[in-house]
Amino acid sequence: MIKVENVSVKYKTDSDMYTAIANVNLEIPDGGTCAVIGPSGCGKSTLLKCIAGLIPEYEGQVYINGEEVNPRVQTIGFMPQNYGLLPWKTVVDNIRLGMKIKKAPELLDRNVIKQLMRQLGIEGLGHRYPVELSGGQQQRVALARVFALQPDVLLMDEPFSALDAITREEMQDIFLNLWRKFNVSTIFVTHYVEEALYLGQKIVVLSAHTGGISQIVDNPLFGGKDIRKKQEFFEMGLKLRNLIKKDWNQIWENQ
Amino acid sequence: MGKSVSVWYLAAAVFLTIVWWIASEIVQLPIIPSPLLVAENMSDIFMDYIAIHSIYSLWRIAAGLLLAVVVGLPLGVIMGYFPKWDRFLSPLVYLTYPIPKIALLPILMLLFGVGESSKIIMIFLIILFQVVVAVRDGIRAIPRETLYPLYSLGAGFKDIFFEVLWPASLPKFITAIRVALATAISVLFFTETFGTRYGMGYFIMDAWLRVNYLEMYSGIVVLSLIGLVLFTTIDLIEQHACHWQYK
Ligand SMILES: Nc1ncnc2c1ncn2[C@@H]1O[C@H](COP(=O)(O)OP(=O)(O)OP(=O)(O)O)[C@@H](O)[C@H]1O
Ligand SMILES: [Mg+2]
Repeated sequence: MIKVENVSVKYKTDSDMYTAIANVNLEIPDGGTCAVIGPSGCGKSTLLKCIAGLIPEYEGQVYINGEEVNPRVQTIGFMPQNYGLLPWKTVVDNIRLGMKIKKAPELLDRNVIKQLMRQLGIEGLGHRYPVELSGGQQQRVALARVFALQPDVLLMDEPFSALDAITREEMQDIFLNLWRKFNVSTIFVTHYVEEALYLGQKIVVLSAHTGGISQIVDNPLFGGKDIRKKQEFFEMGLKLRNLIKKDWNQIWENQ
Repeated sequence: MGKSVSVWYLAAAVFLTIVWWIASEIVQLPIIPSPLLVAENMSDIFMDYIAIHSIYSLWRIAAGLLLAVVVGLPLGVIMGYFPKWDRFLSPLVYLTYPIPKIALLPILMLLFGVGESSKIIMIFLIILFQVVVAVRDGIRAIPRETLYPLYSLGAGFKDIFFEVLWPASLPKFITAIRVALATAISVLFFTETFGTRYGMGYFIMDAWLRVNYLEMYSGIVVLSLIGLVLFTTIDLIEQHACHWQYK
């Protein structure tokens, strides 16, 4: 379970403090997924980094499985927007890196990695370097890397946004399959309303205006079959889009 | 790849020798002896006279280089990874970087004498700055995003250094050494012309003063061979350690 209580993050700028997020409260049950969506600059990445324990100073509390977040204690899988693969390591070494750092030899199970790679369709690419891969293949490697860790929490920052539309939908399905198999509590940032609806049990709309959450939507469409083609999917998407737009307009009015 | 590169080195050597030979045929003066005579002379005297000088020169280069890496690498890492230290150290580096190190030679000789240490420190200074700046810039260029997945797993500085900082700055580090070494060798030649009776610089200048052009040319050829060996070694290390770059 991930629990975010009254979290605010302020960045020091040259002249003063800038509040990136303010008073965020959020709860994700074990094995749940949550999409974070909102206009650019509203603090989505900041929230994610905070939950990953990457921001040293913040107000409020973040709990993972009942304990305060600490990268040394919990296993936190973080997937940055550019995949964060190391160009000087082969695919296999990139996947193994997390286990090496976690000093978790019991996870260094060749079979798990092999199986994951097969499931992701990258079993033949183990000895290639990231520059020798297409964007979609890099994405798969990044997924293998986080899932191989069997993390307590999975955090993804705009995971599929660099891919073309068709590959993106394919990756979304691949992600869902892995998520069902490993049952990992997941929070991901996206700026695609459709992605939020397809992958998020909960959808958190962040506001650039207040720096906090403007709405949490329990997504009734999640997990349905072929929901991408359904009428409700479009309608929900429209509704979400309007919510985000309203927030934007408020900023303009305030200026 | 290794094979085709050595073919080109061989071709270059043959080409230069031919140019040299043609020049010697045209000029017909002792100041440009035929490469054949030089080769003959070299094989006669190498073991007895030249080898010891080349070993001295190599030792000075190796000692200066090692010292520069031992000091420069940590300094570059600290400056690249910790912005606070960089703010403090960068002005120091930039104020001293542009000074031609050879201009410091008189001071070094006054402080450390004309013997080994001033020669080694000279090489050390020439390579040091290149290494510091290259490593620092290499580390600075690493996107923060690359580090996040490691931080979120609780990676300590040791992990970060060996998994990211070192491999990321290695190509720039090696290039810096390659560039600095060329300067270092020519400055070494100069510093070896006084305060020592050993080193390729001494050998070549001594042969010149004795008007023994054959030995002088032998020395020059050996010096360029030393350079060749050093640079190919660096190339090989780079190809081995940074092969991911050539993909
Ligand atoms: N290290 C930092 N120092 C100062 N300000 C920062 C820092 N990181 C982010 N900010 C500011 O905090 C705000 C939120 O940034 P954040 O990256 O979380 O936005 P985001 O919602 O992820 O945007 P995007 O959708 O464009 O990725 C922005 O206004 C940004 O300028
Ligand atoms: Mg962002």
